[in-house]
Amino acid sequence: MERATQLAVPLGQTEVFQALQRLHMTIFSQSVSPCGKFLAAGNNYGQIAIFSLSAALSSEAKEESKKPVVTFQAHDGPVYSMVSTDRHLLSAGDGEVKAWLWAEILKKGCKEVWRRQPPYRTSLEVPEINALLLVPKENSLILAGGDCQLHAMDLETGTFTRALRGHTDYIHCLALRERSPEVLSGGEDGAVRLWDLRTAKEAQTIEVYKHEECSRPHNGRWIGCLATDSDWMVCGGGPALTLWHLRSSTPTTIFPMRAPQKHVTFYQDLVLTSAGNSCRVDVFTNLGYRAFSLSF
Amino acid sequence: MSTESSKKRKPKVIRSDGTPTEGKRNRSDTEQEGRYYSEEAEVDLRDPGRDYELYKYTCQELQRLMAEIQDLKSRGGKDAAIEIEERRIQSCVHFMTLKKLNRLAHIRLKKGRDQTHEAKQKVDAYHLQLQNLLYEVMHLQKEITKCLEFKSKHEEIDLVSLEEFYKEAPTDISKAEVTMGDPHQQTLARLDWELEQRKRLAEKYRECLSNKEKILKEIEVKKEYLSSLQPRLNSIMQASLPVQEYLFMPFDQAHKQYETARHLPPPLYVLFVQATAYGQACDKTLSVAIEGSVDEAKALFKPPDDSQDDESDSDAEEEQTTKRRRPTLGVQLDDKRKEMLKRHPLSVMVDLKCKDDSVLHLTFYYLMNLNILTVKAKVTTATELITPISAGDLLSPDSVLSCLYPGDHGKKTPNPANQYQFDKVGILTLRDYVLDLGHPYLWVQKLGGLHFPKEQPQHTVIADHSLSASHMETTMKLLKTRVQSRLALHKQFASLEHGIVPVTSDCQYLFPAKVVSRLVKWVTIVHEDYMELHYTKDIVEAGLAGDTNLYYLALIERGTAKLQAAVVLNPGYSSIPPIFQLCLNWKGEKTNSNDDNIRAMESEVNVCYKELCGPRPSHQLLTNQLQRLCVLLDVYLETESHDDSVEGPKEFPQEKMCLRLFRGPSRMKPFKYNHPQGFFSHR
Repeated sequence: MERATQLAVPLGQTEVFQALQRLHMTIFSQSVSPCGKFLAAGNNYGQIAIFSLSAALSSEAKEESKKPVVTFQAHDGPVYSMVSTDRHLLSAGDGEVKAWLWAEILKKGCKEVWRRQPPYRTSLEVPEINALLLVPKENSLILAGGDCQLHAMDLETGTFTRALRGHTDYIHCLALRERSPEVLSGGEDGAVRLWDLRTAKEAQTIEVYKHEECSRPHNGRWIGCLATDSDWMVCGGGPALTLWHLRSSTPTTIFPMRAPQKHVTFYQDLVLTSAGNSCRVDVFTNLGYRAFSLSF
Repeated sequence: MSTESSKKRKPKVIRSDGTPTEGKRNRSDTEQEGRYYSEEAEVDLRDPGRDYELYKYTCQELQRLMAEIQDLKSRGGKDAAIEIEERRIQSCVHFMTLKKLNRLAHIRLKKGRDQTHEAKQKVDAYHLQLQNLLYEVMHLQKEITKCLEFKSKHEEIDLVSLEEFYKEAPTDISKAEVTMGDPHQQTLARLDWELEQRKRLAEKYRECLSNKEKILKEIEVKKEYLSSLQPRLNSIMQASLPVQEYLFMPFDQAHKQYETARHLPPPLYVLFVQATAYGQACDKTLSVAIEGSVDEAKALFKPPDDSQDDESDSDAEEEQTTKRRRPTLGVQLDDKRKEMLKRHPLSVMVDLKCKDDSVLHLTFYYLMNLNILTVKAKVTTATELITPISAGDLLSPDSVLSCLYPGDHGKKTPNPANQYQFDKVGILTLRDYVLDLGHPYLWVQKLGGLHFPKEQPQHTVIADHSLSASHMETTMKLLKTRVQSRLALHKQFASLEHGIVPVTSDCQYLFPAKVVSRLVKWVTIVHEDYMELHYTKDIVEAGLAGDTNLYYLALIERGTAKLQAAVVLNPGYSSIPPIFQLCLNWKGEKTNSNDDNIRAMESEVNVCYKELCGPRPSHQLLTNQLQRLCVLLDVYLETESHDDSVEGPKEFPQEKMCLRLFRGPSRMKPFKYNHPQGFFSHR
């Protein structure tokens, strides 16, 4: 939140509206450009803003450097997830995935290079796409979201090759297990499912909420975030943030966090996690204790 | 004397010494006619020179004799006496001679004198004659010169030239044969002709004079006719007033207004002209009038000398009074303040009539020393309004026109030069006086054509018609929408205070048929209270909660759940939406900082307000927002996932039709209502 002083500038209709929009804005996704100089962020109004990291982090950064270089309306609905390939920025939200060229994105009036909609079963409501996952070995993109399926799309041809069904409620997050190309998906139904990409079948299912140590019924059973390190997996959400050993499908460590987790990543040997409604990024070691917190 | 003596002596013949005078007289009488011895004749005969010699001889003899006498007398003797006697007789003879000579001399003298006298007289007479003649000569000479110099009047007359004369004059006058030779005749002829011409011209002149008289008389008659017309026209005008009113063309009234308008100060005049023009051209519901005392306005406009004298006098007086009465310094400052804030006696009243017969009365004043315009506003409605408690400030004259344009709060003077003037008399800001003087909004200055640049104070800011004209339409429209929206709010507040959210029929489609949550409370709160609430910090930090806004608190309830909503109402409602901040008390306190769904609910009313505006002029915005909040609370409570660990049924069974309960990484509830299908979905 900006620490703005009481504005003396008279606020007309547009200024008030913009201020209100900013107050109610949520940024759902972000992605760094392949060159590392730019950061793309997607918000709940469907806009994507490109920030210049090099300008904002330089020593002569002014207020204007912290504003986006360009902002454009990418989707009609919120932009729930974004990934970057080496040339494209892929954004997905309200049922469609669009691709933008990083080289062109800074110009005004940038148009998407292509857009794709996975084949959905229902037509009453367009399901959202909550997670995008790049599988570099196969050069394909995995989408998962509101229709409880994982769709795999070939990035060369743009066709949807597989649809992996199994979740009973919508999917929140995806993670890639690199060694054996497997995709983990966590969803609203409280289960983490592992999918084998070659056979397109569900390999393993972990129903997190059924484990008493980590379940927190008052929060629900949904799995909001997943991270995997091939052998290990961390997931959290409604249930507590837990570290699982994948082979044995047993929870090993439960991290003592109260709030439901939204994001988690492995970093070297540490687990970094943040909740959506606090200003802290907690850093844990594998042994389960909170080493320290990064705070906004 | 000599003449008398000569006359006496004439008759005398012999004379001697000592003869008695009677004897002389007798002789003179008797011998007057007889022998007449003229000694004068003797004079002419004798020779004066010989007489002179005789005289000298006689004197000598006398001297000699005397001397002898003396000798003899001195010697004495007898024969001396005879000698003396002899000599005495001789000397007597000599004396007699001497006397004769003396007489002769006298006679000669007399004669000589007479002759001289005569000659002189003659000479005098001639001289006199000469002078007379000379005088006459001179006189005649003068006359001659005069005559020679005499210029006859005829030479002063510019006569026509000879050629013209011969051309124009009739022959009986010009008589060419005679006049050619004789210049005298020629001149005479010319003079004749001149006379002739002059007579003719005099005739013409008389004719013209009489013509002129006639025409003057005609003019007089016509003037009288015209002057008699004026009162008749006036009476016709009077008679036509009812017709004017009937036809809604009040020319007379307008004319009177224009007369009064001449005395308005320039900014008010610009305002008056532009407002009248706008009213006539575009907007029949606008009426303009001038109020105030014209005489006072005229009295203000004194000639500069007088006013300077007055100033210097009053300054002198003031100085004196300060010396005499020190305690009145404060009073003096007060007077100076009053003087500085003085209003022009004339003011312009503009009435804006709205569709529902409510009228906005605006009175514009001009502060002469500060060169700014102020306005006082009043709203009157067709029917008497019962003011609900929370609507107190909506239509108050102080705030009804606040922030007509963003940021124009009308508490500060727009003229930068006024700050220096204020410093002199100790006025901090105009805010203290606005209740009395009216608000100096920026749009009022623009309507009066006064443009104050923000940076430097300008000494003379003149009223500009083009500035006024360009702002007139927008401002009038804004004023109307302002009044109407306030009145609409007024009505709505009355309903809200009773717990009913008045949703009009054309906005029903925005909401489902069944709404269970109810509005329980609607009160107004003050700005400070709003700032104190713990869930309004975001709005305050974003600068959206200034002191020109109005603040309210609403309470919506369903079952055990209580939703508190703090509302910021911007004066620019309804183009600027009201802003809601929510706090839900149900199973704990949930605000936008700890529950994303509350945040989503706020977003539904704050950001997506455009759907809730309703038909223009979007007066339904606030009520629709409140209704939507009730619907959102319903959805929130019914879609709350049931906690399996807790015993008992859900407090709020789900009645709303929702496709999905959660969506997206933030697991939002379905707050969007779809019409006409009637189900809830996500945005």
